[in-house]
Amino acid sequence: MAKKNILTKENIIHLAKLSNLQLTDEEINKYLDQLEQTVEFIKNLDELDTTGVTPTSQTTNQSNATYEDGEINEQGLSSQEALKNAKNKKNNYFNVKRIM
Amino acid sequence: MDLLGFTITKIRELIEKKTISEKEVNEYFLKRIKKYNPVLNAFVTVVDNNAKGIPLAVKDNYCTKGVRTTASSKVLDDFIPPYESTVTDRLTKKGFSIIAKANMDAWAHGASTATSDYGVTKNPWDLSRYPGGSSGGSAASVSSYLVPGAIGSDTGGSIRHPASWCGIIGLKSTYGRVSRYGLIAMGSSFDSPGPMTLSVEDNALLLRHIAGKDKFDATSSAENVSDYLREMKIARKLVVGIAESYLEGVDEQIKGRFNEVVEIISKMGHTVKKVDLLSPKYSISVYTILQRAEVSSNLARFDGVRYGNDRSHFGAEAKRRIMLGTYTLSHGYYDAFYKRAQKARTLIKNNFIKVFEDVDLIIGPNVPVTALKIGDFEKYPFYGELMDQLNEPANVSGIPSLSIPIGLNSEGLPLSMQIMGSYFNESTIYNLAYQLEKETDFFGVVKKGISNYKD
Repeated sequence: MAKKNILTKENIIHLAKLSNLQLTDEEINKYLDQLEQTVEFIKNLDELDTTGVTPTSQTTNQSNATYEDGEINEQGLSSQEALKNAKNKKNNYFNVKRIM
Repeated sequence: MDLLGFTITKIRELIEKKTISEKEVNEYFLKRIKKYNPVLNAFVTVVDNNAKGIPLAVKDNYCTKGVRTTASSKVLDDFIPPYESTVTDRLTKKGFSIIAKANMDAWAHGASTATSDYGVTKNPWDLSRYPGGSSGGSAASVSSYLVPGAIGSDTGGSIRHPASWCGIIGLKSTYGRVSRYGLIAMGSSFDSPGPMTLSVEDNALLLRHIAGKDKFDATSSAENVSDYLREMKIARKLVVGIAESYLEGVDEQIKGRFNEVVEIISKMGHTVKKVDLLSPKYSISVYTILQRAEVSSNLARFDGVRYGNDRSHFGAEAKRRIMLGTYTLSHGYYDAFYKRAQKARTLIKNNFIKVFEDVDLIIGPNVPVTALKIGDFEKYPFYGELMDQLNEPANVSGIPSLSIPIGLNSEGLPLSMQIMGSYFNESTIYNLAYQLEKETDFFGVVKKGISNYKD
């Protein structure tokens, strides 16, 4: 089958940037091939007529679930618990790289 | 006391009668774990449970407070959850304890355990083969009786696939039947926890304990939890559907035995009829698009700031899925892929709803081949999709499905089939499975599996 070049190397580099992933040249080429194959494969959905069909985001027809006013938050963590797994912290805060 | 092969139901009975203590039970299984886990690599972490409760294994994507939880990825190599998942919380309150965190494909991405950063789990039936996945450690540990039961999670076949390859009973529950709180998210609109056991009764027992509304999971259902143990024992004559499209491309030995089981079901007085289901290939596409999108979103939180290591620790499979998910969600492709898949998901769901107007259950094979050799994963570019092509429709639609053993092939490897039911109708699935278990003893598969691992 002739290659259709759905994706370019630049696309892959852009996607890696959006996904916050560092890829090697070898990986970029590998993912280019693999993503193309996958995109080719999932095109079989074109065989289904989806005109006027409502999209499904939730399969069991659940409606919104809300807490009652005044309920106690049992899921909350103390700052000590929340920080326990952090590798880089300072004065009870997560320490992150400067972004501005 | 020789416990070898005793079900959870039996062990619980012995503990209640004080024939045996919880301590003795735990020591027994710990001894077996020490003996066989180095061979099988079923567990990432063995837990000190203070010799209390009936010991179970849970897949290492269930958060256990104070106990390392890795999802078999080096990103979470040193992650100690500050909270407990609802599933493990409910089990420990009902007389069970967690004795081990089971190996899995990293982030539950795969059908082999080959993508685990902690090494592949070996299939207890043949150490040169995969146990299947992603809940491969859970399945291998039950099949070799390192634990009397385990919990897995099924996003696209991850309970039923390894249950099949290891010759045990594994349930994918209805989406929302069991809380996902504290289960490290893979595909949030698909993830379904479920029990993996030696008997149908044990499976129903564990489901009864973990099912039900949880205020910590907004997608969990308030639907009444059935009395599975009672309902599965009611003598019922059922109408069972078979779809031709689920037999295409399936290994001849699996198909052959499946057809024999269909005859047995007919002889037992059930009605078997053909039903018209959409080809599973559409489910694979819907699953591939939506699940990757959810993966890219769910794995975005692993940035190494609040917990775990940074993103350079992701393995190849996770990176591949994140990239595809980011692609299908990105500007210009959203309508063509993501939205189209959501619409196709509606068609697949409606197709099942319509078929379940005519039948109580649908049966079919759930894997195309028996356990493959370690290393074969590399040979298939669509390995996961290929392996789970028959499992994924239940995940795409959200319905429950149970994998049961139906014998061994000529190489002595387990064969299986699945029983799919309508939404929240696990009871009827168990009903047929229980009847089949009584009629066939699942062709001796479960007992044979255990007998390979003497005390």
